[in-house]
Amino acid sequence: MENKLQFVDLATSHGKKNSHPGIEHFEYSYKAEITNLYPLTKTEKLYQIQIVDPRERKDFTFQPGQFVMLELPGIGEAPFSISSSPIRHGDLELCIRRVGKMTNFLDRVKRGTKVGISGPFGTHFPVEEMVDNDILLIAGGLGIVPLRSPIMSVLENRSRYGRVDIIYGAREPLELLFTYQYGMWKQFDINLDIIVDKADDKWTGPVGLITEILQKRIDNGTPNDFRKKTNAIVCGPPVMFKFVCEMLIKAGLPMEKMFVSLERRMHCGRGKCCRCNIGSTYTCIEGPVFDYWSVLNLKEAI
Amino acid sequence: MKTERTFLGVPIVKPKVGFFDLSSCEGCQLQMLNNEASLLDFLSLVEIVNFREGMKEKSDDYDIAFVEGSVTRADEEERLKIIRRNAGVVVALGSCACFGGVNQLKNRFNDLEWVKRQVYGDFPIETQEAKPISAFVKVDLEIYGCPIKKEEVEKIVTKLVLGQEITHPNYPVCMECKANENVCLFDLGEPCLGPVTRAGCDSWCPSNRMGCWGCRGPAPAANLKQLEKIAEQKNISKERLLDRLECFGGFGEAAREMRTKVEGGR
Amino acid sequence: MIFKVFQAGEMETLFGLLSVNRIVGPVEKGRDVDGKPLYDFDVVYDFKDLKLDYGQTIHSAKNYFLPYRENLCTFTFDNGDWQKEVDFGADRAHVFFGLHSCDINALNKLDKVLMGNIYPNPFYGAKRSNMFIVGYSCTPTPSCFCHSMGTDSVLHGFDLFLTRMGDEYFAEVQSARAYHILERMETREPTHEDHLHFRKTTSKKRSLFTCEVDTSDLTKILDMEFESEVWEKWGDKCLSCGTCANVCPTCYCYGVEEEVNMDFSHARKVKQLYSCNLVDFAEVAGGHNFRPESSTRLKYRYYHKHRGFVEAYEESLCVGCGRCGNACLADITVPEVIASVREGEK
Repeated sequence: MENKLQFVDLATSHGKKNSHPGIEHFEYSYKAEITNLYPLTKTEKLYQIQIVDPRERKDFTFQPGQFVMLELPGIGEAPFSISSSPIRHGDLELCIRRVGKMTNFLDRVKRGTKVGISGPFGTHFPVEEMVDNDILLIAGGLGIVPLRSPIMSVLENRSRYGRVDIIYGAREPLELLFTYQYGMWKQFDINLDIIVDKADDKWTGPVGLITEILQKRIDNGTPNDFRKKTNAIVCGPPVMFKFVCEMLIKAGLPMEKMFVSLERRMHCGRGKCCRCNIGSTYTCIEGPVFDYWSVLNLKEAI
Repeated sequence: MKTERTFLGVPIVKPKVGFFDLSSCEGCQLQMLNNEASLLDFLSLVEIVNFREGMKEKSDDYDIAFVEGSVTRADEEERLKIIRRNAGVVVALGSCACFGGVNQLKNRFNDLEWVKRQVYGDFPIETQEAKPISAFVKVDLEIYGCPIKKEEVEKIVTKLVLGQEITHPNYPVCMECKANENVCLFDLGEPCLGPVTRAGCDSWCPSNRMGCWGCRGPAPAANLKQLEKIAEQKNISKERLLDRLECFGGFGEAAREMRTKVEGGR
Repeated sequence: MIFKVFQAGEMETLFGLLSVNRIVGPVEKGRDVDGKPLYDFDVVYDFKDLKLDYGQTIHSAKNYFLPYRENLCTFTFDNGDWQKEVDFGADRAHVFFGLHSCDINALNKLDKVLMGNIYPNPFYGAKRSNMFIVGYSCTPTPSCFCHSMGTDSVLHGFDLFLTRMGDEYFAEVQSARAYHILERMETREPTHEDHLHFRKTTSKKRSLFTCEVDTSDLTKILDMEFESEVWEKWGDKCLSCGTCANVCPTCYCYGVEEEVNMDFSHARKVKQLYSCNLVDFAEVAGGHNFRPESSTRLKYRYYHKHRGFVEAYEESLCVGCGRCGNACLADITVPEVIASVREGEK
């Protein structure tokens, strides 16, 4: 039987010659527990998810803007931006809208449920490179979700940044997310402007488009400072960020200082399934955070 | 409804279900009884309280009604409406219930009285045009196929019980046929509706070297115009193509249009 | 590289030596309406069934290393908790007997994306690490355009590559295990004459191509013609059936579904090869579809193969095997699509 080919078992050959380090981790997910969950609006809930193993939890590090794949065994797996601060490691917060097969089931689970977490995946907002500069965060609707992590990160390192602005627009007041934190953000010296498309009885703030607030912010600052010192982080529906980014370009902001986070369908998060491809760019590996120059070069991105 | 089990901590209710038949061959229900190996598992999923083909007991207390067959008589219409009233969820089971099925072939004849005489001779039975059950009642879920594919039904019912949204494959049979590495039936000179028919059957017929007859109805992006051109190019007559498109009723309007064009051209 | 020469009759000996393993090779699957044989890869038990002089197979051999359906993991539920079990789906080595250079090049390209980047795929890797490949030189069919894609010869990624030269085979030996197998057969060292004969044979093969694709500046042209109307013309024909991707030796896109057993004790996560031409390929939760029209989906397919992959790896993801065009009922072929996109320049 000397012609019998020897079987190479990749599952056990880890560390040996020609094997890829960490290859067995491809399908690995951290066992995590939903320690708490609470509704933020009618359709969105905030899930606090803790990686069960203390060591894994501590070793789990990520950058603001990255995402994880959340798996409900037997139900499905989907990508979600991390909404918590990086200093919390594997104690994650995910804000999830009830919208599809997997999230509809997720909406029914109770705290204590064990889920799978893999990642973190993708690119991040380069908040480290924004030190000493002004940061302008612009969010439309659910777009606030991926921005909460950089917001937290900036808050925790407030002395390292100049002026920080958040401009956040939603369709109506009842759809606003993280309302309980607005006071804290303001107290930590963040300029927070919120605008809605349609007011309700209780709304006293401005009504209109996000671009109106942005125009005021641009007009209020010294043009030179704005051009030189501002970094913009934009997230929201494609129409919104197209208008916003065009305004920012007009105001003189360089494209490589404007960052957006894109949403696509994903089945793997690891650059294999191609479902998230824009043109031929993997959103999961080269994104979800892109600078606006890259976005302009992506066909069909916006 | 009893809460017996949980899945990921979510309480899962074991629903009471009934199987009912209107005008049909009852083959879909037979499929459910076939393959005893998985029958017990199926019974752990649901409690069957009404199934004429499978048991003696009969109850009108059910949550989900699986209805096989099309409506071809006034009394069936009445029965269907009662089932709708009793059930929380009505499932159209198989091509007859979904599209009218083979039964709806009779609708092609303009003179239904003539049809009746041909079929029943001197003992006529009051019948009307064969229609899918959705023509009379709200249908919550359609399970396609002539007959249905049991493995698929089991998956669908599991999802239904778990409270998950049911989605059907959005691609045509070709996708499954190629994955099964079959020889394309067009290469063998046979017509096949695989390129336009909704998948989910795991290319049951083409895998057995029989061209698809479209029993599951059109796939969402079905390109029938191109199929017509393909048939023409392969010397497959419009009549042969129409035979298949009309067979189960799933291609309704598109098939009627093609028929009108063919007959108008004569 | 080490070269050997052996008599044509020794081929059966080679097959016999390797047959203690499972051999996958080209076999005849039937005849079409015109009586022409239809070939595909299958497990071969008898040397007589091995049709080495096949033109092209309907499908590539990818089902053996990139299966159409594959179990990614199994979950076992117990008392509110669960355990996850992963099996890479390989338990033995396979011999691939008679792969053409296009298909070996396809494997080399798949290696780059599936094994090369930061998340190497063990499901593919486990099977890929267990392939013994006997390459076989081909005669171009009318739909072959590998020559245009630079894949009509192959430099690595096989154990043995055989080229027919008269009554003999010229063997390129690329692995020690292939060398040891050849030691058990009657072979001889090639002479200078053999070398010349080999070069003559390959240059003759190159002259036989009748199908060409002009790939010069293609990445840029595709960007320039992004809004071109030709995409709609092809989109109107496209059946959105996924056949092109399924027969393609390099298409690897997939979708994942999870399913729970009827008794809720287990669940499976199943991967299914998908196709970017399918209507819901780019649909996100909530129903928004980034590519609702068949023309944009078809265009995307060309972008991925002929632009994106080139940007990432400086080579196309198409090997010019012609299978997609052969299998497409709507007669959409790569050479014609690319020619029509280029037409603007004339």
